[in-house]
Amino acid sequence: MEEYYLICEDSLEGIFTGIYDAYLKKKPHEQVHLCVGEEENYRLFAVYEECRPDETKAVKVARTIGRKLGTEAYMSICRALASPEADKAEAVYKTVVAGLSMQSSRGCGLHTVFAPARGQVMGNLKNPFVHRVFELARFTANEAHYHVEFLRFRELENGILYAPIGPKNNVITFIVPHFADRLPLENFVIHDTLREIYALHPAGGEWYLVSGGQESWNNGLTGDNATGDSLTDDRFNFSQEEKKYSELFTHFFHTIAIKERRNDQLQRNMLPLRYRKYMTEFQGK
Amino acid sequence: MAADFGRTELTVSESSRRVRSNVAQESAVSQDNIISYRNTILQNGTAPGGGIASHKDPMPLMRKLEILSDAAKYDVSCSSSGVERKGDGTGIGNTSKAGICHSFSADGRCISLLKILFTNECIFDCKYCINRRSNDVPRASFTPDEICELTIQFYRRNYIEGLFLSSGILGSPSDTMELIYEAVYKLRTVYRFQGYIHVKAIPGADPELVRRLGLLADRMSVNLELPTAEGLKTLAPNKHRKNILAPMRQIQQGITQNKNEIAVYRHAPSFVPAGQSTQMIIGATPESDYQIMMVAESLYQKFELKRVYYSAFVSVNEDKDLPALPGGPPLLREHRLYQADWLLRFYGFEAGELLSEAKPNFNVLLDPKADWALRHLEQFPVEINRADYRTILRVPGIGVKSAQRIIRARRSGNLNFEDLKKIGVTLKRALYFITCNGKMMYPTKVEEDYITRNLIGEKERLPFDRDGMTYRQLSLFDDDQEFLWKQAISS
Repeated sequence: MEEYYLICEDSLEGIFTGIYDAYLKKKPHEQVHLCVGEEENYRLFAVYEECRPDETKAVKVARTIGRKLGTEAYMSICRALASPEADKAEAVYKTVVAGLSMQSSRGCGLHTVFAPARGQVMGNLKNPFVHRVFELARFTANEAHYHVEFLRFRELENGILYAPIGPKNNVITFIVPHFADRLPLENFVIHDTLREIYALHPAGGEWYLVSGGQESWNNGLTGDNATGDSLTDDRFNFSQEEKKYSELFTHFFHTIAIKERRNDQLQRNMLPLRYRKYMTEFQGK
Repeated sequence: MAADFGRTELTVSESSRRVRSNVAQESAVSQDNIISYRNTILQNGTAPGGGIASHKDPMPLMRKLEILSDAAKYDVSCSSSGVERKGDGTGIGNTSKAGICHSFSADGRCISLLKILFTNECIFDCKYCINRRSNDVPRASFTPDEICELTIQFYRRNYIEGLFLSSGILGSPSDTMELIYEAVYKLRTVYRFQGYIHVKAIPGADPELVRRLGLLADRMSVNLELPTAEGLKTLAPNKHRKNILAPMRQIQQGITQNKNEIAVYRHAPSFVPAGQSTQMIIGATPESDYQIMMVAESLYQKFELKRVYYSAFVSVNEDKDLPALPGGPPLLREHRLYQADWLLRFYGFEAGELLSEAKPNFNVLLDPKADWALRHLEQFPVEINRADYRTILRVPGIGVKSAQRIIRARRSGNLNFEDLKKIGVTLKRALYFITCNGKMMYPTKVEEDYITRNLIGEKERLPFDRDGMTYRQLSLFDDDQEFLWKQAISS
């Protein structure tokens, strides 16, 4: 039995293209697998194929998922694909297969009454691939929520709010809409320090992503061409107000604790240590 | 009300109203003086020199924040949940239905709102309260502008989710409410703040003020303080149960009325959209858990409260009427009450099922749900693939999310124990109470003693175990175990 391995680019577009190409093979789905990036251990009797990201194919797959499997499944899949895990492509592919093989909700007859419709695919946690997508999506969603909670902006001299983050999953696209809605009249930048992705939000405007380029991110916001240096922490000039308010908050943070109830374990459970290095109130310890 | 906005310079000096002060001139300050003091400010726009406002330098903001957050920290409520509101693009802020915590302090409690008092001066003398009149503590007051600036600047840095504003009673309850109203009004209109605001309704204040404040705030709360009227009488001589329940009823009626208005006029201003909450102190007075749960249940049913908070009594004052707590605050008791509170709100339990006159307190060794299940073994085991949602929800080790997932997942096929584990069921507790396809996980006896012994053998994860230690050390010897389960059964 011949096995096919499609090697996709590690992106939403790359993996959706992979799913499209996997269907094009017209082989039983058990024999087709998706993987991301370089394969380390090549298997015998398996065919490896490179899969080039293609926007039209990806859009078709995205539309099919959204329409046939529903918004919940689509969002879960997007979240799962933000994960750094290597098996995400395979899990998503097999979840799509599982979803499309379910009854369409428009069907009639006795069967539809009992069998769940396609929109219910994420409920089928018995299926190991669906469960894996569920797990990955939950991790991303949780981490995104942690960032909504624990992200800290610092005000630069020119009034821009700057927040560095270092998430395990690629959560930036899931958190920016929240802040764009919350702070519509602020210029702010959220910087994923691990992936070198910047989300820029000009006051009163739409937010957008800039990747890789370390230059000119704040030129876009201020129209100021003077600075163009890379963003390392010591190069930041924070505003006077910033010092005052970060001190006020740190002080508040310490006085609000009830010493008779001190409980470091609980604090650690609720606020994992890895977030603390970006948080104002834990600086200078 | 509008005329009041000229009065922004209200800064009452630290210790200006300490009654038990060594400075004779300060101790002579009466209520009338305070009111005339406020009137002077109103007229002149500045604080009068000499007399009670004898301070030279205004207190630094840092010191004020320290005093007034320190004084507010015993208020438990910190949730920012209950209302979903998008920003309108003209100001700052939005709210999220689930609420957002922004930090966790060293006691593990969440910091969601900027929790401060407007002032910690108070004309009341409640025995459990750090801010009572007879305490010699530094006093301070914010100005509405200071509160607005702090809120906005903290908010835009994502430190906080909004403002929690409470206050000691300055002058009279209505005066205090007016000050709170002024700050909140300014924050909402001048600063166009659309984030979460939680304010205290002060018992005894003018109902009109409560109504107006309710149109600006997301959540309001009136503290019940103590579970029973007798307890209140002993420990809070200036407060009356009747005065506390009156604003609670008013807010409840306001919310109901407002829902009807919004049904007709979609853009009618919303009144306390996130509902109201309350809190009571546990362990300062001799009520039983049963009494407390009955009070909580009637608050949920009759006053439609969103939350009742329980606050383990922390001894901050020396007083002959207060209990001595050598073991620290009664955290385990508080924890059991919260567990039971969740059972009331999300699991369809009633207080009468969990406790009774004959068994008025929770089991120390078992959580209330396991305790209930052990006393109702005739209802178990439950078949996971057949039982309805409400029945599954009553199984120890299965929570709301697991129960929902089970209901959904079993539509695609029968579930077995392996699947349950993946779904998130705590099998080591659930296994005594469930079957999958008619089989139990292991051959076990459905017998109270046997299951109790096994459940107690599992180390329960309590949120307040310091450094991962339980309140009980593990022992090599069996008699210890034996003793524990005997104790659990008899209690």
